[in-house]
Amino acid sequence: MNLDFFLYLVINTIVVITVSPLFVSLIKKVKAWTQGRQGPSIFQTYFTLVKLLKKEVIYSPNSSRIMRVTPLVTMASILVAALFVPLVFVPETVGGIGNIILFLYLLALARFFMALAGLDAGSSFGGMGSSREMSISSIIEPTTIIVFAALAFVFKTLNIFDMFAISVSTGSPSPSTLILIAISLFIIIVVETSRIPVDNPETHLELTMIHEGMILEQSGRNLALMELSAAVKMTVLMALLINLIVPFGLISALTLAGILIAVFLFVVKGSILAGIIGLFESSMAKKRFFQLPSLFAMAFFFSTLIIIIEVFS
Amino acid sequence: MIVELFILVILFLLAGTIFPLLAASLDRRSIRTISLSSIIIASVLLCGLSLLTLFSGEPVSFALYQPLSQFSLSFVIDRLASFFLLIIAVVSACVALYFTEYIEHMEGQSRRNLLCGSTSLFILAMVLVVASANTLSFFLFWELMAASSFLLVTYEYTHDETRKAGIFYFIMTQLSSLFVLLGIIVLYVLTGSLVISPLSAASAPLATVAFLLLFVGFSIKAGIIPFHKWLPYAHPASPSPISALMSGVMLKIAVYGLVRFLLDVFTPDLWWGLLILAAGTASAVLGIIYALKEHDVKGMLAYSSIENIGIIFMGIGLSVIFTATSLPLLATLSLLGALFHSLNHAMFKSLLFLTAGSVVTATHTRDIEHMGGLAHRMPVTSALFFIGAVSIAALPPLNGFASELLIFMSFFTSVAAVQPLFKVLLFICLALFALTSALSAACFVKAFGSIFLALPRSPECAAAREVPRAMLIGPGILAAACIFLGVCAIQIFAIVGFSVPLPDMLLVSLLLMGMAALTYALLYFTASREVRVSETWGCGTLSQQASAEYSGHGFSEPLDIIFSAIYRTRTTNERTFFDQKNCIFEKGKGEIRLLKVFEEYLYNPLAQQSLYLAGRISRFQNGCLDTYLLYVFITVIALIVFLGWFA
Repeated sequence: MNLDFFLYLVINTIVVITVSPLFVSLIKKVKAWTQGRQGPSIFQTYFTLVKLLKKEVIYSPNSSRIMRVTPLVTMASILVAALFVPLVFVPETVGGIGNIILFLYLLALARFFMALAGLDAGSSFGGMGSSREMSISSIIEPTTIIVFAALAFVFKTLNIFDMFAISVSTGSPSPSTLILIAISLFIIIVVETSRIPVDNPETHLELTMIHEGMILEQSGRNLALMELSAAVKMTVLMALLINLIVPFGLISALTLAGILIAVFLFVVKGSILAGIIGLFESSMAKKRFFQLPSLFAMAFFFSTLIIIIEVFS
Repeated sequence: MIVELFILVILFLLAGTIFPLLAASLDRRSIRTISLSSIIIASVLLCGLSLLTLFSGEPVSFALYQPLSQFSLSFVIDRLASFFLLIIAVVSACVALYFTEYIEHMEGQSRRNLLCGSTSLFILAMVLVVASANTLSFFLFWELMAASSFLLVTYEYTHDETRKAGIFYFIMTQLSSLFVLLGIIVLYVLTGSLVISPLSAASAPLATVAFLLLFVGFSIKAGIIPFHKWLPYAHPASPSPISALMSGVMLKIAVYGLVRFLLDVFTPDLWWGLLILAAGTASAVLGIIYALKEHDVKGMLAYSSIENIGIIFMGIGLSVIFTATSLPLLATLSLLGALFHSLNHAMFKSLLFLTAGSVVTATHTRDIEHMGGLAHRMPVTSALFFIGAVSIAALPPLNGFASELLIFMSFFTSVAAVQPLFKVLLFICLALFALTSALSAACFVKAFGSIFLALPRSPECAAAREVPRAMLIGPGILAAACIFLGVCAIQIFAIVGFSVPLPDMLLVSLLLMGMAALTYALLYFTASREVRVSETWGCGTLSQQASAEYSGHGFSEPLDIIFSAIYRTRTTNERTFFDQKNCIFEKGKGEIRLLKVFEEYLYNPLAQQSLYLAGRISRFQNGCLDTYLLYVFITVIALIVFLGWFA
């Protein structure tokens, strides 16, 4: 492992952890504005995380070791998945880091543990959340893999690092493909990060909650980890979209000034995307759970379209 | 060296078979332990043997016995055979170790000696099938394997269920043998020799017939849909270690047969590959969808075996397609994926069957709705089952992921190469494959959650205790193998001499551990360390009730509804009335039943047709001497006419 790559590990992790809570707050702010409210400060998520870190952890007497290791495993696997998507700086890949399938399955690893933790305490809320989360993730999976296969097909590589390098240097493929990729990835972001119309991150009502239901039993520093890992996951998926579609500012040689500019540009681009997500959420109603498969079918259609266009053009 | 080792393995397994039969009436633990120990010794020797040939790569062939000039009991141990011998060896050793304790908890006194003997015979048969150098001995040992496994399945023959399962299994396995035999006969007609050797290209139409016959034969044995129905019957009926052997190893022997004949005998057409791919995809998707619905823990594992065999067949199908479209590199990649998945499936499925056996022994039920809370009561077993569940759900960095990743990669890279129409087809299979692996994660969240987490849902389950040490060591070795094969996948391939484009899982695991350690350390120094164990909020209830928990059934309900087109139900409603106007209700029966599609629309009609035919034929057999004399007379006349005509 060379020095560049080691620096990449450090920089990427620090950047992703620092900016993720900002994007979460921004989406909340945009949603508040559209509802005519002032909304919380854009630093509110940071304050919440600090507050949670100071609180004690409460475990149900029924819960097992799964409950205790889940926050750590979730955080670790999401952070490793974050290493697969360079935010600001694209080094040479080492040992197959950046493999797009492995990236997807690292997210699945986190989800597997979270779903088990939801079942662990034996409360019906947790079970309901786990059951719905696993169902939704199962039926979105064919779409996700087809989108990723389309990416691999368009960029002729399986590695996210190489995809970014290609999109920075030679520019992206044709605009039609680009738009379809953007739509498909956007739908994946909405589904994977439990947003309206799939899930409602704001409420704790049993009728709507999926992700929130699963982590209902978590408290204190464990809850902080779960919240932070959800934020990081969202940022990473957003970065995948941003750096494929509007890659300017992404650097491949390491300089201090370059990094600072790249981070600044990434925050700007990410904030715009967060705003779009917020507007999208505000303009939609939460769909009934069993109407979701048809939404996913639409996403599947868009992603297959990319492939058909690429195959027959 | 190899030959002597191989003979030694055979002798040990024979000793394991014969010794308990000699002492069949003595109900002593020592007899069973000696028999099982000889299985373990044989497995260790076999393991060494197969590793030697796997690394050297030089095939060893030898004949043991030659009764006829045409036919000899000869064996070849090449790389492919030694790979499958390795699977047999590792699983058998762990199963035998586990069996030493498990068998003492079983019923049947001295009959248990016979169980040991037949287990040993079963393993011997599998070893000999894999090592066979000619088609006839392949078939003979294939039959021996079928017969000995039938004995194992029907061990608890006093239960009605087991008897039914046993008969079902016997018929299916004999059908499989029939097709294999027919295939072998066609091959003999084509080549005039019994040796497993390449066919000449000229014999195309008959070769296709031979391939189809062999494919059906192997598919029945492997449990490919629609020939899968014996698996969910036979596995719950047989003792758990036997299920582990059958699911972990015997299904792989069918895979071995298919791969062996495809590589060494046929030059496959493109559509053969498509056929294998389609069969594999259908099995994978339907297998896991049925597994989600199953609440018998062993039935669920059986359906999940169907899914995994489907994945293996997908790999083989891809490899055939790429060979036929002359893309040798991709063909190798997907075949390696299929073979690696065979090995991995053997490891984690045996692990899951063995730990499920421990759970069933401890709780006396197979229904996961009556389990729960076992993570506190059986901590080691639950940890081992967990490793199996993570592997089978194809999560990094364990072994299930490594092999599925290989198949994913061959899908992903293939699309750049083949014709447009195939691309679309491959994408459909890819999407279904992704669905399969996501559903298997859901299935095993449900299984682990219902069995081990939350509160116990039955008094037997609440009283469950951890199983003895031998029943932990056996699965423990398999769990270690699951971790090792996953984390060091790329290094293993490098040692064997293949460079595969896998990511370095060792690095990924180190990163995972590093990140976890970093997070832990940061939290330790910055966050509050207070921990309290107390009742958490349960929507206003005073304390948690086991009856209010989310059940396994509830867990899979959303997927049930989404896939309701596949889970067909039949509603029956019968009512009788006292009066003729149907006003005064007497009694009635209402029922919603899951439709067993394959059984009701495929198996039963076929069975009825063959019964009907058999009835027609049995009319010739009327027990009257005169009629038989007439038959003899007609036969003689027919022979005379035939000979006069043709000779």
